[in-house]
Amino acid sequence: MIRYLIKNNFKLMLRNKWNLIILVLGPVLIIMALSAAFAELMKSYEGVDEFSAGYRVSKDFVMYEHMDEIKEAGNKSGIDLYEYPEGKPEEIIANNKLAGFVEFTGDSYVLYKSGDYEVEGLTLEYFVSRIMDEGLRGVLQGIAAETGGIDAMGSVSEVNMLPEEELPYMPAVDSTDYYGIVYIVYFCWCGMVCATGVLSNEKKYGIGKKFQVSIQSELKLYISRLLPTVSVVTVGMGIATGTTILLYGIHWGNALLSALVVFMMILAGVSFGLMLYYLSDNMAITVIVLFTVVWFMGFFGGSFETYMYSSSSDTLKQLSPLYHGNRALVELSCMGHSSYVNSAVIYSLIITFGCSVVSVVAGKLRRRGRA
Amino acid sequence: MTEIVLKTTDLTKKYQNKAVVDGLNLEIRRGEVFGLLGPNGAGKSTTMNMICSLVRPTAGTVELFGKNPWKDKKEVIHKVGYIPQELAIHGNLKAWENVELFTSLYGIKGDTLKKAVADSLEYVGLAERRQEFAKNFSGGMKRRLNIACAIGHKPELLIFDEPTVGIDPQSRNFILEKIKESNKNGATVIYTSHYMEEVEAICTRIAIMDNGKIIACGTSSELKKLVTNGSEDITLEEVFLTLTGKKLRDYAE
Repeated sequence: MIRYLIKNNFKLMLRNKWNLIILVLGPVLIIMALSAAFAELMKSYEGVDEFSAGYRVSKDFVMYEHMDEIKEAGNKSGIDLYEYPEGKPEEIIANNKLAGFVEFTGDSYVLYKSGDYEVEGLTLEYFVSRIMDEGLRGVLQGIAAETGGIDAMGSVSEVNMLPEEELPYMPAVDSTDYYGIVYIVYFCWCGMVCATGVLSNEKKYGIGKKFQVSIQSELKLYISRLLPTVSVVTVGMGIATGTTILLYGIHWGNALLSALVVFMMILAGVSFGLMLYYLSDNMAITVIVLFTVVWFMGFFGGSFETYMYSSSSDTLKQLSPLYHGNRALVELSCMGHSSYVNSAVIYSLIITFGCSVVSVVAGKLRRRGRA
Repeated sequence: MTEIVLKTTDLTKKYQNKAVVDGLNLEIRRGEVFGLLGPNGAGKSTTMNMICSLVRPTAGTVELFGKNPWKDKKEVIHKVGYIPQELAIHGNLKAWENVELFTSLYGIKGDTLKKAVADSLEYVGLAERRQEFAKNFSGGMKRRLNIACAIGHKPELLIFDEPTVGIDPQSRNFILEKIKESNKNGATVIYTSHYMEEVEAICTRIAIMDNGKIIACGTSSELKKLVTNGSEDITLEEVFLTLTGKKLRDYAE
């Protein structure tokens, strides 16, 4: 019966005061520091007044017929878009005091930004990239529907609704909300540290030997470590999230979906950490490798530099599970929905399953190896 | 003929081509208290680990209750209670929680588990302290709790690996008395220790191991006669030193 093992491991982790200090105080303090540190930068973005930008569109642009909707979406976001069919973009920007200029052709665009309106330029860039992401997806759905690939891409009625819908541009997020969300995700990924005390004691005091001289399989022993760790991290993150909501007023948007994404991040993070321990059989190596990998995933995933303005390549961003989690949660906070929820959940499930399989196999092999 | 509880045949374990246990042949019958003595590096712990299926032999076989503990682990391992040299308990768990955790590893649950926990703590004299955290216990109490954690599932074979290291005489006496009591109640015991007087006091048969081999095996008086040509006017420690030599053994087991 591993429920007693799970229950007692859970108690052990909860009774370790350092676990809750790290899980609760860690995010609260870091969120406070980072949201304050980047408040000015994001405030200038958030508080940017309405500004003007120019554009030129060729007839082969895939969303040519939707330019009115694009302009309307821009308008709602404080961007007045004016068409300039002729002239050099640089000169148009200078002569009309524009924040930037966009040339839409085919399925891409070229963006010119004014050096005088740096923040507005970033806002314009973000707006255009979102329009292209979402708009192109809609166009592809339309093509699939027309060519019969409907099952995979959705129904015809959904596709036809696209031009009538408001184009999904994400409103501005302030630094408190942004860092308040991404650092919860970051700590979810470091959550395995909760298990370090229990696992170290098992090794130090020969408790692992007693597990081996029992009828429990490697899979059951793995589950008895995974579940309590996930539970404790969930409790810790729940308290941290509640505290940061109370202290800093962080908005999470869609609470249920956000909770699901955070839970999946915890599950994936703990599975990944446990896998490192099963592979290395050394807690120091596990912690160092875990923190290093999570740092890099966070670096590309928007934990330090906001993913909206990150200069990292898109491929590296997409590879980082933290990017999917961060983006899903930030968009849920701002818009109440996000197309990244699915990828965040699926990515986490794949990581959880993969890491669990590797851990159990590594545990069995190690037992045989020792043997 | 009494049932053979443990049988090893040409049991060998090599590490980097060096035999730590070298062709060990043992037979332990039900009801015996079998002492395994040997200097550091003699191969005692490796032998224990192979018996408990913690270490796979390089060659030879182990039979526990007539079965291979590697192939039929689930059928035989619940008959074994292993008390390791380390204090294999969690300091941040209360006494009863520790016993519950380790007893439940053998599939015991519900009221049966509750009773097993209560009985085990009673047996080692810790029933009154069941609600206390193990980290607050003295060395002797931790040793007793370590034993309680291994007997909750009512094993038929108890394997003690130096269970009296670093504890006061009262606790040691208590543990030895309990081992004798367990044996009276039907448990077979394998016991390793560096304390000769303990082994002499409780073991019905003793084997002395050195360099991975058993160099002598028999009752205490048989071993004494072995080195004195029939006289028993010698301590077990003198027998041990005569057989294994006085040279220091700076091995790590």
